Amino acid sequence: MKRLLGLAVLMVALAAAPEASSQSFSVDLGNRRGPVQPIRFPHDVHAGKLGMNCLYCHYGAEKSPIANLPPLSLCMGCHKMAVTDRPEVVKLTGYWQRNETPRWVQVYWLPDHVKFNHLRHVKAGVACQTCHGPVETMKVVYRYSSLKMGWCVQCHRQRLRDPQFPASMDCIVCHH
Amino acid sequence: MNAFTSNRRDFLKLVGLGVAGASAGCASRPAGRLIPYLVAPEDILPGVPYWYASTCRECPAGCGTLVKAREGRAIKIEGNPQHPLNRGGLCARGHAALQGLYNPDRLRGAEAKVRGAWQPIPWEQALAQASGRLQEARAAKRGIALVTANETGSLLQLAGEWAGAAGGTHLVYEAFGFEAVREANRRTFGQAVLPTLDLARAQLVVSFGADFLETFGAPVAQARGFAALRERPESGWFFAVEPRLSPTGANADEWLAVRPGGEMAVALGMAHVILREGLGQGPAEVVAAWTPEVVERVADVPVETVERVARAFARRRPSLALAGGVASQSEQATALVAAVNFLNYVVGNVGQTVRYDRPLGYETVAPFDEVQRLIAAMAAGEIDVLVLAGGDPVHSTPAWAGFAPALEKVPFKVSLAAVRDDTTDRCDLVLPSLHPLECLGDSRSVPGVWSLQQPAMQKLPLVEARAPGDTLIALAAGAGFGSFPATWEAYLQGQWAPLHQRFGAGQTFAAFWDEALRRGGVWEEEKPAAPAPAWQGAPAFVMPELKGGGDLALVLFPTHVHDGRGADKPWLQELPDGTSRIVWGSWVEIHPRTAERLGIVDGDPVEVRTEQGSVRAPAYLYAGLRPDTIAVPLGRGHSAYGRYAKGRGVNPLALLPPAQDAASGAVAYLSTKARIAKAGPRPMDGYPRLATAQPNQGQADRGIAQGMPVASFIALRASGGKAGFILQPQAGEGTKAGGAHPPPAPPGAPPEEQAHIPAGLGRVGPRGTNLKVLLETPPSQRKLGKYTEPRELTPGEVIPPQAITAYEPMEKVRAPRAIPVTQGTYSNPNDRHRWAMAINLNSCTGCQACVVACYAENNVATVGPALVQRGRSMAWLRIERYEELLEGGPNDVRFLPMLCQHCTYAPCETVCPVFAAYHNPEGLNAQAYNRCVGTRYCSNNCPYKVREFNWFDYSAPEKDTFAFPEPLNWQLNPDVTVRSKGVMEKCTFCIQRILEGKGKARDENRPLADGDIQTACQQSCPSRAIVFGDLLDPGSEVSRLSADERRYWVFNELNTQPGITYLKKFQRESELA
Repeated sequence: MKRLLGLAVLMVALAAAPEASSQSFSVDLGNRRGPVQPIRFPHDVHAGKLGMNCLYCHYGAEKSPIANLPPLSLCMGCHKMAVTDRPEVVKLTGYWQRNETPRWVQVYWLPDHVKFNHLRHVKAGVACQTCHGPVETMKVVYRYSSLKMGWCVQCHRQRLRDPQFPASMDCIVCHH
Repeated sequence: MNAFTSNRRDFLKLVGLGVAGASAGCASRPAGRLIPYLVAPEDILPGVPYWYASTCRECPAGCGTLVKAREGRAIKIEGNPQHPLNRGGLCARGHAALQGLYNPDRLRGAEAKVRGAWQPIPWEQALAQASGRLQEARAAKRGIALVTANETGSLLQLAGEWAGAAGGTHLVYEAFGFEAVREANRRTFGQAVLPTLDLARAQLVVSFGADFLETFGAPVAQARGFAALRERPESGWFFAVEPRLSPTGANADEWLAVRPGGEMAVALGMAHVILREGLGQGPAEVVAAWTPEVVERVADVPVETVERVARAFARRRPSLALAGGVASQSEQATALVAAVNFLNYVVGNVGQTVRYDRPLGYETVAPFDEVQRLIAAMAAGEIDVLVLAGGDPVHSTPAWAGFAPALEKVPFKVSLAAVRDDTTDRCDLVLPSLHPLECLGDSRSVPGVWSLQQPAMQKLPLVEARAPGDTLIALAAGAGFGSFPATWEAYLQGQWAPLHQRFGAGQTFAAFWDEALRRGGVWEEEKPAAPAPAWQGAPAFVMPELKGGGDLALVLFPTHVHDGRGADKPWLQELPDGTSRIVWGSWVEIHPRTAERLGIVDGDPVEVRTEQGSVRAPAYLYAGLRPDTIAVPLGRGHSAYGRYAKGRGVNPLALLPPAQDAASGAVAYLSTKARIAKAGPRPMDGYPRLATAQPNQGQADRGIAQGMPVASFIALRASGGKAGFILQPQAGEGTKAGGAHPPPAPPGAPPEEQAHIPAGLGRVGPRGTNLKVLLETPPSQRKLGKYTEPRELTPGEVIPPQAITAYEPMEKVRAPRAIPVTQGTYSNPNDRHRWAMAINLNSCTGCQACVVACYAENNVATVGPALVQRGRSMAWLRIERYEELLEGGPNDVRFLPMLCQHCTYAPCETVCPVFAAYHNPEGLNAQAYNRCVGTRYCSNNCPYKVREFNWFDYSAPEKDTFAFPEPLNWQLNPDVTVRSKGVMEKCTFCIQRILEGKGKARDENRPLADGDIQTACQQSCPSRAIVFGDLLDPGSEVSRLSADERRYWVFNELNTQPGITYLKKFQRESELA
C-alpha cells in the first residue's frame, strides 16, 4: 500500500511537470544540449564555414523586435542549386515541394510578461553571439544563455553608463 | 484499514519529491514550435506593425481610419489625421469595430434554416439555393426586395443596379435616417439633405434636442468643431433646449428644460423676438403668432429666457441652431427642424455655419414611408425573395410597424449579415459577409470626399464569408440577371474610373488606385461656402400632441450603441452610459421628485406601460429630466445578435404607438405618454441593482473637476497672471478643523467663488454635490477642497502638513514642475524626460472615445455587469461625470478623464511590500506585473482609484470570467502583457508607445520631438482635450498647457504632485445675461 501511495504521488508529480521530458535535449549529434529539429540545420556550416551573416537569414533582428526565422523561400534561393543531394537538403526540398514548412523546435523563449526587442540590441552593437553564443561553431543550436532576469541585468548593469547606448535598468522597459 | 500505514516522514519525502518534480517542470515551459513563412509576404515583418488607411463603417458618417495590423491581424483602429472629415479623431463605436471583426459569434459560414433550426451548408449550395429562388421569382414576375444599410458609396450603386436588374426594389434602411431634417430642408430651402454644421465658426450654439456629439450627423467632426467653439472664452456659449439633458446637452451652459415637443415653440418664439426687435431679417408673419408668452404657455420656458436667448442668438453672429435628434423626433419633427431653419435664416447663419453645399450622405436613405410600403408588400405576400444586406429592421423598427410579422409572410429571406442579428435570425438562409476590415469598399458621405475602405487583414480563418458586393454579384450571376463585372473589386474600380480621370491625371489607374488606398481615399480642397439658398417658405407649425393616457411623457434616446448595432461589442456594452454610467443594460430615467411621489428608489425595478406594451428595467433617478417626463434608452433588448447583445436590457420601441412625423413619415420616437409603477421588490435588497460604473455623480466638495468663470480667466490673462491660487502662508494652515480655504483669488481677478454658483438654484436628487448646503453658506465660508500650491518654503516657515512627504527632506518641497525628475542613478543624462499630460476639461465632451481606445491598446479586460456593480471594472481610464448644477437654467455638468496621475510622490509606491509599484526615472509611476503579489495596498492608498485589480483570471479560457473568447483574443496587442489573476494593473501612459517613439527617433538619429509620442487616449480624442508630452522640454505643448491660467491638479492638497495637469472648465453662466 505504501508503494502504491508513493507511486500515486510520483505520478502526480510527473503529470504536473508538463512535457518536461518530452522536450528532448539529448540528441545523437555530438552536442548533447540541442533539440532534435525537423531538419538538421548546421549553423556551423552556414555561419561558420561559409561565413554567412546572421542577418542574411534572420533579417528581422535589425528591423523588428522579433528576429524572424527565414522563410523557406530564402533557403531554397540557394538550395535549388546548391548541394541538392545531401539528405537534409533533400528533406528541405521535400518540404518546399509539399508547400509545407518545417515546425522548428523553439530554442529561445521568454515568458509573456517580458518584452525583448532585438532591434534595439542589434542597433546598440550587441553581437548576436553575446546572447546566442558561438553559433558559428554549433552543429545544433542549443540555448547558450539562461535568459533569466539576472543574466539580462548583469549586462545591462555593465552598460548603464555607456555613452552612446546606455542600457536601461528600469523594470517597465521590459515588463509592461 | 492499513491503507495509511506509511508514516508521515515517508509521505513528506514523497510530497517533497513531487514538488521538486513539478517545479522542475514548471521552471521552463515546454518548447514551442516555430513555423516560418513558406514565402515571406513582401510587406509583413513579424513584430513590425503595418498601418492601412481605411474607412470606418460603424455609422454612415464614414470617418477615415488607420488600421494597425501586426502579423496579419488588425489590432487597433485610429482616426486618419489626413482625412478631412475626422482629422485623426475617432469615436467609441469606431474603435470597437475590431470587436465586430473578432466577434466570437460571427457566422462561420453559410447557414440555412431547416425546420426552424440553423444548420451549416456549403457556400456554393447556399448561393445556388438563393439564386434559384431569385430566378423563380423573376420568372414569375414576383416581388424581390433588397435592403441595405446606408452604404453611401459604390455598394449602394451596385445594390441599386442589382435591384433594377432583378426587377425588384432597393431600400436603403437606416434606423436613424433623419428624414425630418431632410424634409424640412427641402421645404424651407429646397435641399433635401443633412447640412454640414460648422460649429467651429459659430459664436453661440443652441441645440434643440440634437445630440450632435453622439449620434446626430457626423459626431467626430462636430465634436472637433465644438471644442474649438468652447475654447474661445469671449464667446462659445451653448444652450440645450430639450426635456431630457442628453450627454451632449450636459455640456451646455444653460439648459432650457422644455416641455417634450415644445422645442419648436422655443425656436419660433426666439425668431419672433429677433424679428420684433429688428435683430434679424425675414418674413415676420411666419412667427407672428409665436410670442414669448405663447411659448411660455405651450413649452414651459419663461418669457424672459426666450427673449434673453433670442437676443444673444441674434447678437453673437454667426450663431448656430441645430435640431433633428432622434430623441426629439415627434409627430411634428419636420416642423421643429423647419422652425430652427427659420431661426438660422433670420440671423443669417445659413451659408455661414449651416452649409448646404456640403451635405452628409443621407440623401438616399429611405424615408420610413418606404419602409412601411415594403412591410405592407411583405405582409400582402407580394415579396417572394427578400435580400437583407445590412441593417437590423426587426430590432430597430417600432413594434407597431409590424416588420417581424410581415417578414414571416415572405417565402424566402436571405441575409448577408456577419452576425446572426434579430432580423437574420428570422431569415431562411444566411450568406455571411466579410467585416469591413476584411474587404474592399468605399464611402461618399460628404461631397468632395471619396473614402476608400481597404482590408487590413485577410479574412478570419474558419470564417467562410464574402464581401457583400461579391455575394450580390454572385447571386445575380446565378439567377441570370444583370451584367456586372465578375468581382466586387472590379466593380468598385469601375466606379472609381471617373475619379481617376479627375484626381490621377497622368497616372495609370493602378498607380492612382494604390495611391488612393495608401491615403484612404481622395478629396478635394475644401471650397468656400456657396451662397446661402433662399428661403422657400415654412410648413404649418403645429404643436405635437402626445398620445396615450399616462401622466408622464416618454422620451426614447439613443446611446453609444447607436440604433443597437454596437450592442454585440463588449467594449461598448461595458462603456458607462454618458448620463447614468450604467453598463450592460437598460434603465428608466425618472426625476427624483416624480420618483419620490411614486415611492420609487434608485435601482428599483419599474414597469413602464403604454397602450402598446410594457417594459421592465431598473429605475435611475436623474435630475436632468423634467419631472413630467421619463426616459428609456434605445438600442438594447436584442432577441439574438450574439452572446453580448442577446437579452441585455429592453427594447423600448415596443412602447410606441403608431405615430409618424406628419410631413416626412419619420418614426415619432417622442409620441406617447406612459405610466410607471414599481414592479416588485428590489432584487438583492440593500444592494444596488444597477450596474453602474460611477454610483455617485457628486464631487462632495473635493474640487475634482473644477471650473473657472470666464470673467476670472479673461481678467487673469489680461493681468498676465499665472495660475490663480498661490498659497498665502498662514500659521497653522490646514491643521485646524475647518481650516480649509478656497483658493484666494489672484490680484485683479473677480472673486471666483462668487460667480461659481448662481443663487437660487438647488440640487434635487439623491446624488451629486449637496448644493443646497453650499448655497446656504456664504461664499467666503464655502469649503471647496484644500487647494494648495506646493512651492519653495521660506526659511523658518511652518510646514503645512499637506506639504510633508516621505520622499524628500522637507525643506526641498518644491513646486511640482521643479521636481527632480530623475530618481535613481541609472538614467542616461542625455535622454531625460518627465512624461506628463495636460487634460483640458473645457474641451472634453465626455464622449468616451479615449476609454475604448485604451481598452484596445492595453488589452484591458471587460468584466461584465455583475463585477462592474462591485466596482471591479478594469478600465484604466474612465470618464467621471460630475453634476454640479442640473436643475434647468444655468447648467454645469463636468466630464473628467481620470487615469493614473503618475504622481511624483505617489502614495501607491510607498505601500507596496514588493516594490512592484515603483517610480521610473522618467516620472512614470510604473507597475511590474510579474513582481506584484496582489496585496492591493497600492489601490487602497491611491486617492484617485485608478489601480485595477484582477480579481479573476480574465485571460484564462477555462474560466467563466474569460474576457477574450476566440477570436476576440486576436485583437490583443502583442506589445502589452495580458495580465492574469491576482495582479494589480494600471495606466502606463502607453509605455509601449513611448518606447516605440524613442526607438524611432533613435533610428532616425534625431532627438525626440514633441508630438512623436501620442498615448492611445490622446490619439483618439475627437476634441483634442488630451495632450501628452515631456515637461522637461520647455517648448512642448504639455509644458505650455501646464502653465496655463486654468491649470490645477486633482487632490493637490495631498501633495502627490501629479503628472497630469487639468485645465478648468470655463463657466459661462454669468455671461449669459
